[in-house]
Amino acid sequence: MTEIVLNEIKRDEKTEGKKNNFIRLLKFYLLPGWRDPEFTAMQNKIEMIKSKRRLFRRLLSPLTMIGLVMILFIVVLAVYAPWLTPYTIDHLASPYLPPDGINFADPTPAHPLGTTKFGYDLLGRLIWGARTTLTLAAIPVIISLTGGIIFGTISAYFGGLVDTILMRFVDFMYSFPTIILVIIITPMLGGSLVNVVIVWGFLFIPANMRFVRSLVLQVKQNLYVRAAVTGGADKMKVMFKHVFPNTISPMIISIFGAMGLTVLGLASIAYLGIGDQTLADWGTDIMYSIARMSAVGPAFWPGLFIGITAIGFILLGDGLRDALDPRLKI
Amino acid sequence: MIRKSQNMIKYIIKRILIMIPMLIMVLIFTWLLSHMMSVNPVSNKIGFNLDPDVYERELRRIGYYDPWYVQLGIYLQNFFTGEWGKSYIVLPEKPVLEIIASIFPKTIELMIFPIVIVPIIAVKLGVLSAKNKNKSKDILIRLIAILGAGFPVFWIATLLQRFVGISLSRFTYGAIAIEVVYSNSPDLDGPPIDNFPPFMNNLFSFLFFLLLILGIILLYKNFNNFRDSKRNKNLIYTILGSLIIIISLVPIILLVIAFFENSYGTGFRIIDSLLYNDQIYLWDTLIHLFLPVISITFVSLAGITRLTRSSMLEVMDQDYIRTARAKGVLEKDVINKHALRNALLPTSNLIIGGTASALLGSLFVEVTFNYRGFGFYMVQSIFAGDFLVINGLLVFSVIIILTGTLVADVMYTVIDPRIIYR
Repeated sequence: MTEIVLNEIKRDEKTEGKKNNFIRLLKFYLLPGWRDPEFTAMQNKIEMIKSKRRLFRRLLSPLTMIGLVMILFIVVLAVYAPWLTPYTIDHLASPYLPPDGINFADPTPAHPLGTTKFGYDLLGRLIWGARTTLTLAAIPVIISLTGGIIFGTISAYFGGLVDTILMRFVDFMYSFPTIILVIIITPMLGGSLVNVVIVWGFLFIPANMRFVRSLVLQVKQNLYVRAAVTGGADKMKVMFKHVFPNTISPMIISIFGAMGLTVLGLASIAYLGIGDQTLADWGTDIMYSIARMSAVGPAFWPGLFIGITAIGFILLGDGLRDALDPRLKI
Repeated sequence: MIRKSQNMIKYIIKRILIMIPMLIMVLIFTWLLSHMMSVNPVSNKIGFNLDPDVYERELRRIGYYDPWYVQLGIYLQNFFTGEWGKSYIVLPEKPVLEIIASIFPKTIELMIFPIVIVPIIAVKLGVLSAKNKNKSKDILIRLIAILGAGFPVFWIATLLQRFVGISLSRFTYGAIAIEVVYSNSPDLDGPPIDNFPPFMNNLFSFLFFLLLILGIILLYKNFNNFRDSKRNKNLIYTILGSLIIIISLVPIILLVIAFFENSYGTGFRIIDSLLYNDQIYLWDTLIHLFLPVISITFVSLAGITRLTRSSMLEVMDQDYIRTARAKGVLEKDVINKHALRNALLPTSNLIIGGTASALLGSLFVEVTFNYRGFGFYMVQSIFAGDFLVINGLLVFSVIIILTGTLVADVMYTVIDPRIIYR
């Protein structure tokens, strides 16, 4: 069937020229529901079945686009930070005190959103905080996903005693409330933000372990795995060449959800006071704003940006999951 | 049926037996944590400046130099005999069990409204959102849900505190940290001696008694009229009657416990102020609880709505829904009976698990509003380094979470009778 379609397209090229064909192809891929009046009904149906079009069309839903715009906004803030504000990072965080700064000042042309405690410029801290947030949110996700993949595939693939021991350990770690454990363990290692981030990553390994294990168990039942084992592949090859590539797409979707949760969690821990004061973090901004109850700006804007980041990641994750496979329970 | 309930009981016993070694492992883990983080406890009592001999003798008396297994054994022995230690920084010289018993009711008061109301409203909203997919109602509900799920809860709490709290403070009578029930009534100087048990003395306590009688009457009439035609009517009266009995029995049981402990209150401010007819105190408590409850409700609604919506959407694509519609079942029955019952399973897991972890106090809301609940004391004792209190509170939270997961697993079989545990 596809050969018939290709022949028709080639014939169209000869009679109508490349430019018209290209315009028709563009319209077909971008405009949803547009039907070319020159194609026959059968070829139209063939084109509709092709999954590439439906995937792209499903990704273009309005809420996903909003999420993408939010994340792009934060990424632009993070990347182009030195050009967007005249203050550098040295003038916006802890070891530096602005010599003639007023705490919690009203907005002036020099400080477009006002100042926070100690006289730092709020807009500058918001823009430079985007770098902190994105970096600090990526690290626990990577740590927990790597640990989850390693231990999850081991426990799912080998089964038996190893599986039972690892799942008992996961149940044990599930019975603790995570945030309280982070607050307890971090001062033991010295209280900086990097330690918080690493501890957070390690504490989310059990959840990812269970998730990856369920994915691998689902894939392992397929016939091609048994065929590979019968064909003589050793365990390592089966695990990484046959089983693992089929479990990547739910993992990629779970990355977005995990990043949203991590942004919220790290902001919460910074709000309690555990954190690095030498970084321009949004959570510490909200903590600073408690000092003066009548100033709404220093409390409003950092939280809004935290919310935009988290909502963007959640929406993107949802949109990707709806486009790829709506039945995934992530 | 008999076989299923026998299996169920065996399953519950097996789970409880597994919980005990897990609890011991949790105890060892928390002891290890507190051992690694413990500041020298004697230095806070005596101080560094005094005689080093006194210092060392005190440490030796406490058992600071004992080997680790001796310390662990003493700790476990103390735990199971009920002596969980005394706090020394957060609430000086108060036993940890007493701290938990006096603080936990405040957190229960904070969370009772979200725990009861949020699942009902959120499931309804999720069903509504899945029914009109991609129409205006759906987009509005999804918008509110994503706002609640994305914005941090302490930010919503802080904004509410600034905008609404300042005007609300005109209506309160003081700080909520006052412990005594009768402190806001201007006439009373001491405990109302003649007023115990306060069943018949004032209107509100009489109301609880009346409710109990009403519930008993309802159930009696219900079970005596089995020849009634509609099944649903009987079900509603049964549920309503049993709920009324439970609601009215709670303060009575608590009062009985308080009577045996020789104290004049139950620990729950709302129930105490209703029973002792102290309207000022009741109003004060409700106004103080208003804003934290709104923050928690908003955030919990978001999560459950999103989960219900996605599982409903997944169920509505199934074949049996199409069969039910083709058969001629009413649309509301298709959704509320056939689709919702199959979609409720992951939601129930989240609701019960969320209840268990919500009872531990939402840390951030309590810290923002300075409400002395479970989460507040947890954070304060971690920052102060009071490791006995941390141990006690952490073990308590673990017990609650484990019980919550057990209840959730048992609920699976109630919701979906096809699931059997072997």
